[in-house]
Amino acid sequence: MSLATDHWYDFRDLSNLSRVILEGIDKVAPYELAYIVAPIIGFVAAFVIFVLPSQLYVGVYGERRIIGRIQARRGPNRVGPFGLLQPVADAIKLLQKEALTPKVADKALMWAAPVFFVAPCVLLFAVIPFGPRMVFADVPAGLIFFIGVSGLPVLAAFIAGWSSNNKYSLFGAMRIVAMSVSYEVPLVLMLLCVVVFTNSMSLPAIVEFQRETDLWLIFMQPLAFVVYFIAVSAELNRTPTDIAEAESEIVAGYLTEYSGMRWGLFYGMDIGYALAAAAFASTIFLGGWSMWGLEQWVPPWLIFIAKTHLFYLVFIWTRGTLPRLRVDQLMGFAWKFLLPLAVVNLFLVSLERLWWLEAGLGDGMVFAFAGINIVFSAVAIFLWARFLGYRPESIPTRPRLVQKAGGYVPVEDPPGGGK
Amino acid sequence: MSEIVQSEPFVMNIGPQHPSTHGVFRVKATVDGEQVVDAEMVIGYLHRSMEKLAEERTYTQNIPFTDRTDYLSSMSNNLGYCLAVEKLAGIDVPPRGQAIRVIMAELQRLASHCMGAGAFANDTGAWQTPIMWFMREREKILDIFELTSGARLTCNYMRIGGVAFEIPEDFEEQVRALIGPMRETIADGEGLLSGNEIFLVRARNVAVIPPELAINASLSGPMLRGSGIAWDIRKADPYCGYEQYDFEIPIGYQGDAYDRFIVRLEEMRQSLRIIEQALDGLPGGPHSTEVPLSLRPPAGEAYARIESPRGELGYYLVSDEGPSPYRFHIRPPSLINLSVLKEMTVGGSIADAIVALGSIDIVVGEIDR
Amino acid sequence: MEGAGVQIAFWVLSVLTLVAAGGVMASRNLLHAVLFLIVTFIGVAGFFVLLSAEFIAMAQIVIYVGAISVLILFAIVLTPQSVRDNSETAMVGPAILLGIALSTIFLFVIHDTAWPTTNGTPALSASALGQALLSTWVLPFEIASVLLTAALVGAIMLVRSETEENEDVADVDA
Repeated sequence: MSLATDHWYDFRDLSNLSRVILEGIDKVAPYELAYIVAPIIGFVAAFVIFVLPSQLYVGVYGERRIIGRIQARRGPNRVGPFGLLQPVADAIKLLQKEALTPKVADKALMWAAPVFFVAPCVLLFAVIPFGPRMVFADVPAGLIFFIGVSGLPVLAAFIAGWSSNNKYSLFGAMRIVAMSVSYEVPLVLMLLCVVVFTNSMSLPAIVEFQRETDLWLIFMQPLAFVVYFIAVSAELNRTPTDIAEAESEIVAGYLTEYSGMRWGLFYGMDIGYALAAAAFASTIFLGGWSMWGLEQWVPPWLIFIAKTHLFYLVFIWTRGTLPRLRVDQLMGFAWKFLLPLAVVNLFLVSLERLWWLEAGLGDGMVFAFAGINIVFSAVAIFLWARFLGYRPESIPTRPRLVQKAGGYVPVEDPPGGGK
Repeated sequence: MSEIVQSEPFVMNIGPQHPSTHGVFRVKATVDGEQVVDAEMVIGYLHRSMEKLAEERTYTQNIPFTDRTDYLSSMSNNLGYCLAVEKLAGIDVPPRGQAIRVIMAELQRLASHCMGAGAFANDTGAWQTPIMWFMREREKILDIFELTSGARLTCNYMRIGGVAFEIPEDFEEQVRALIGPMRETIADGEGLLSGNEIFLVRARNVAVIPPELAINASLSGPMLRGSGIAWDIRKADPYCGYEQYDFEIPIGYQGDAYDRFIVRLEEMRQSLRIIEQALDGLPGGPHSTEVPLSLRPPAGEAYARIESPRGELGYYLVSDEGPSPYRFHIRPPSLINLSVLKEMTVGGSIADAIVALGSIDIVVGEIDR
Repeated sequence: MEGAGVQIAFWVLSVLTLVAAGGVMASRNLLHAVLFLIVTFIGVAGFFVLLSAEFIAMAQIVIYVGAISVLILFAIVLTPQSVRDNSETAMVGPAILLGIALSTIFLFVIHDTAWPTTNGTPALSASALGQALLSTWVLPFEIASVLLTAALVGAIMLVRSETEENEDVADVDA
């Protein structure tokens, strides 16, 4: 399956190196020590090759540079070469700042909220397969694990907003919980489509499915991918759905009263969760570490990281370009638009799967299914939008032009023709 | 059943320190959940007593004050005040001075609408991108102002009887160089925002001002035109020779926030047309008439109004033949446009209230004076 | 699962769960009580993991931590007098009696049951669970779904505003 060998110096599969280290420890020390050393090696490796570079240089520096590019400005460019040390400088600044606590706040909870916010983020990466043998915990129900754990930060954000005892914070807290409850439903239904289609809840198995069929799930389940992207950006508070932190409306939402490194933890972990969602999406929908055979020459973990960052780039892009929806519109979108589509899609996928199993069709069928599903997605989105009364052309988007000043010009009779 | 499941309304202070109040302005909003049930405006945080101070200074000394009322459109404010004094004293402005005034006022309208449209997009949540694009063009206009008058924001360029200085040699070249990119930016902004469904659902049918309300509340500028009323002082009561230029009044359909936004964008296009025409037919001659420094207009009163970027900007002056005005009053369009904020916000959500406020395009310096 | 690690994990989880459960009862602030309850749920999920029932552990987190506790939080924050204390009422006496009775029953049941021990990992995978739910236990499963649907409809009826109701009545009349 892979050209990667078992030599420790073969960096295409970093698990070789850790295995050699662990075997060495096993020979000289009691065997329990390996259990303690293994997570440390995994953590350090993940930290060095993924978390730190992603967090600092894609999440903070890259995001600000790209947003700056979108906004016709330069972004950070003063600290260090090309402003590369800006994230470090920011961290030092945040550490120095005083973390204020309002007098009327619930101090214990306000202190605990950032901690509760950080812990699940670390857990999320445990089930992500970075390579064929590079996964911390091969949990059989890894997909459910991911869904469950990614629901925890919402509680932390709620605690943060509630304990601040500020009206804006409370608004942010209520909004984030409402949003999470709404968008969890289509999200889980769509991931259920993936589970039904691949017949597995284990993330490495889903990657293996995509590698064997030579077709990524984004093509087989395009609707699921779209809904996942929308739902996850709603849960992560990324623009256009960042209503829990909506700066122009409720100042900073649940973070209004936070400052210093307490705020910094929230900020950093927001990026962390976005990266986790991107990693999850590239595992589920973009083929994980597989790349049509390229993984035999290029280290699979590099392919995986590249895909993750590519997905994260889309997050940055939407953040820089789209306005924000109102809270009731966003809720309505989840319940009225995404949920029926998700249910219909689940039904279709189940039928396909059943037919696939009953008729004993070969793996080539996935291409037919991909075609069916792509057409279905496009038709379903269009028709359902029309059915819900989406008429973008009902009122012209250009103003009418008149030559003479006068009174009210009725709409039925636009003088000058109205462009 | 709804008596059981009920929430208590509570008061929420939006401002005076809030990212979306465009200055130190405060709305005491009573909200029931996300819905605004009452809104009370609190103004006066930026009051500097300009109208009273102006009674102690000569007519020429008052011009810098007008810079500081609507600080996003100082040229228009200078112009309105100078027109009022000229009306009071019966001073004629040479054609070249008038044409320069028109160019400056229209450039100022562009700069101000850049800010207004960008800030409105910011309020709908288009995070900083449109405003930065518009700012890029606004910077070029401010560069031209700096080139001409030496200042970027508070220009103090108009004088009673004309303008302060002759325009520099490369002025025309610079303004013409600005027109093309400005058109592109307007088209970009329009394409990005009016073609965007999220923007449409945020701004369409939000904060609707019916035409009757718009007239009864004495609104002016884009607020009035957005409600479908063709009214522009440049057409209705021309000053500075606006009657020679060919331009159109953009009007909206139903008076919602989107209409006001798109009217502003279209006004920018029309301003560019006026600037082109004014540059083409820029007459020669003096840029200003000689006016005595200690001007003592005959006793009487005068009211001059112009179409400032925000609406009808009026200056009312009473002279008692002294060197300074006996009474100096400004009709600030922002203040009067703001008076319908309660009608616009009550019943909508907090997010809509922010969009409503953004669509008025207020400048707090002008409201509080 | 066996080994020293499992022993340590078991005792840590036990202490965590029990302390948090005590906190639910002891804390005066209703919101703090809910947060303690969430910690209890997480501790119970940890026990499921120790019993090699990963799927149930995940379900515990998704349903109890992710959904039910959020609903409780919502209920507390949305109802009037939301931050009222977990104060003493006349129900304290009966509650203590009920608690003692219940724990006595539990103690007897735990003591009298012959707990079977298995060697190796029990086959409690998600697919086995799904098979069981849709074959042996299909009737309870369907009843539960009907109940949930009814609850959903009922909730919608409860929060409808009067204007909507009047509109619907007008629609029916017309």
